[in-house]
Amino acid sequence: MEEIKVEDEIKQRLQSYSRRLFLQRAGLLTGMVALGGGSYIYNPKGTWAADPIKVGIATDLTGPISWGGIPNSNVAKMVIDDINSKGGLLGRPLQMILEDTATNEQLAVTKVRKLVTQDKVDVVFGGITSSMRNAIKDTIVNRGKTLYIYPQLYEGKECTPFLYCTGPTPAQQCDTFIPWLIKNGGKKFYLPSADYVWPHVLNAYARTVIEKNGGEVVGEEYFPVDHNEYSATVNKIMSNKVNVVFNTTIPPGVAAFFKQLYEAGFSKNGGRLACVYYDENALNITPANEIEGLASCLDYFKAVNDPYGNKIQAEYTKLYGTKNPFTAGSAATGMYRGLRLWAVAVTAAKSLKREEVAAALDHAKIADGPGGPSEVVPGRHVKMNMYTAVAKSGKYEIVEKSKGQVMPGECV
Amino acid sequence: MNVVPFFFDVLAYSAIFVLVVLGLGVIASMMGIFNFAHGEFVLLGAYTVYLLQEHGMPVWMGMIAAPFAVAIVGLLLERIVIRRFYATPIVAMLGTYAIALALRETVRMLLGGQFYNVTAPFVGSFEVGEFSISKWRTAVIIITVLVMVGSYLLLTRTKLGLQVRGSLENPGLARASGISTSRVYAATFAFGSALAGLAGGLMVPIYSLNADMGVPFLIKSFLAVMLGGMGSFEGSIAGAALVGASSAALPWAIKPVVADVVVFLVAIAIVKYRPEGLLSKWRK
Repeated sequence: MEEIKVEDEIKQRLQSYSRRLFLQRAGLLTGMVALGGGSYIYNPKGTWAADPIKVGIATDLTGPISWGGIPNSNVAKMVIDDINSKGGLLGRPLQMILEDTATNEQLAVTKVRKLVTQDKVDVVFGGITSSMRNAIKDTIVNRGKTLYIYPQLYEGKECTPFLYCTGPTPAQQCDTFIPWLIKNGGKKFYLPSADYVWPHVLNAYARTVIEKNGGEVVGEEYFPVDHNEYSATVNKIMSNKVNVVFNTTIPPGVAAFFKQLYEAGFSKNGGRLACVYYDENALNITPANEIEGLASCLDYFKAVNDPYGNKIQAEYTKLYGTKNPFTAGSAATGMYRGLRLWAVAVTAAKSLKREEVAAALDHAKIADGPGGPSEVVPGRHVKMNMYTAVAKSGKYEIVEKSKGQVMPGECV
Repeated sequence: MNVVPFFFDVLAYSAIFVLVVLGLGVIASMMGIFNFAHGEFVLLGAYTVYLLQEHGMPVWMGMIAAPFAVAIVGLLLERIVIRRFYATPIVAMLGTYAIALALRETVRMLLGGQFYNVTAPFVGSFEVGEFSISKWRTAVIIITVLVMVGSYLLLTRTKLGLQVRGSLENPGLARASGISTSRVYAATFAFGSALAGLAGGLMVPIYSLNADMGVPFLIKSFLAVMLGGMGSFEGSIAGAALVGASSAALPWAIKPVVADVVVFLVAIAIVKYRPEGLLSKWRK
């Protein structure tokens, strides 16, 4: 008898577990996932007579893109504190409202909706990946009627009104870089790529520049984004005697690819590795000897060694350490530039109305920034200096600087 | 097509894959638990190597420490969480998924979301004629074969192996024969975890250390276990070898993006027509 009772009880418990309890717990879990990452408010220090201007920052503090999101929020905090310490804008302090978009586009839409409808921010900065920008831009710009500034280097073709892109475009990353590669590598290019929007669109642009300069693309290949076995491609590169590997595969797969390429003797036989998102941060991905001679083209490197850039570096490192450094590939430079240009525009417009700020932002410029001066040009993109750098024993050396600021060549 | 690099690379990738699947296969086949945290156990193994390297210890020492460190983590998790779910495998699966998330995000926080490299104990490659053969990948192939044979002997030729198989086959009878099935399960889970830790430690020089390094392997590893057939250790290995080899070999002939899909399609077809796994006939 006793045993049957116990068995019944277990059965009952199991049944109730598999239904109600499971549903309850699953519901709780979904709720927790939906709420996701945190929201943080940074109030201006000191006492202010006027209400604060609200700056919304929506970036990936957690999840796979957190390597970029963390420095983004760090830079935003640093610049906003600096503006506040110098009297704010229009006599008002800046309040930073930071939302963790957790590398999750659905969650991000909820987060930016909160920023524009509940917090009623005056401007939104953020998004690292193109898929993130595409997911949140409509909520911010069209439905939210708010200004949106996107800081990351990207594939171009973003021409939404009231959306400003402050990172480099394909034209800026290819126009001076590819002729340099042909001169310092050779004419035969191979384009191994991750299969998502940025490599596809960038490669199409790179191909035209390569062919215009007398080069030749012997292969263009796409891999699933988390691919980690590249022997077939490495073999094609070696047997076709390719001169330049213009890489757009991304972490984590890129580590395995560079290693296989190195072990096959690509660089040793005079091949040139090129990758336009590779910054100081990315140097950690592979051991230094495997990417010796890798060339990159970005709007800023530590090695530019200009007084203003060094000042930002020193300040940033003092505040946040070296784990998530201030680099171009993580959109930190774009965030810095974006905030400064926006501040200039607000000051010039003497208003926070979207149309008025945008009108001033359309031709805003700053004399100093990481990598030098920059200026918004028609098409809501930014012209800036570009630098070609080569990795030598785990450090970059600048080998070429653009002649003046390079035009973004978008939306004209 | 160059025959030497082709065969070497297919073999090298299959070896890594077998290494990853071994631990998963042991846990799945011996305990009937699909461990969704397996990728994160691999990650912990890699992280152990990185951590010791940061503290000035040689990489090979980290690789020896990795399986032990992960075994301890596995043991703790089994005692605290997994053992409560043996009666409900589906809930166990969700439980391990939650563990996976927690482990992954913790490591991500510790790494600041960054990527780090670990240099292999053997750097560079052998020159074979006009081809280069990676030294470390060669080492991984050899270690995989040794571990594979070792695990097989442990499970089929030792008293512990007999107890493990007995506990799986008939837990009631095993208990009646004086075997503490609870302890056997804990040991098996720790052993599977250790294998995952070893896989992570050995492959971290080939990939780079980052919080998501275990993720790409997870789904394909499950596929391998399904292909091999649940409840069979040899089957898991055969499945892993098949999935690994075809993942590496197909991109030589067709587009890599398509190859990924083809691997899954073929595997699904096989599971459909041979639901008991590839080696079911051979085992009979």
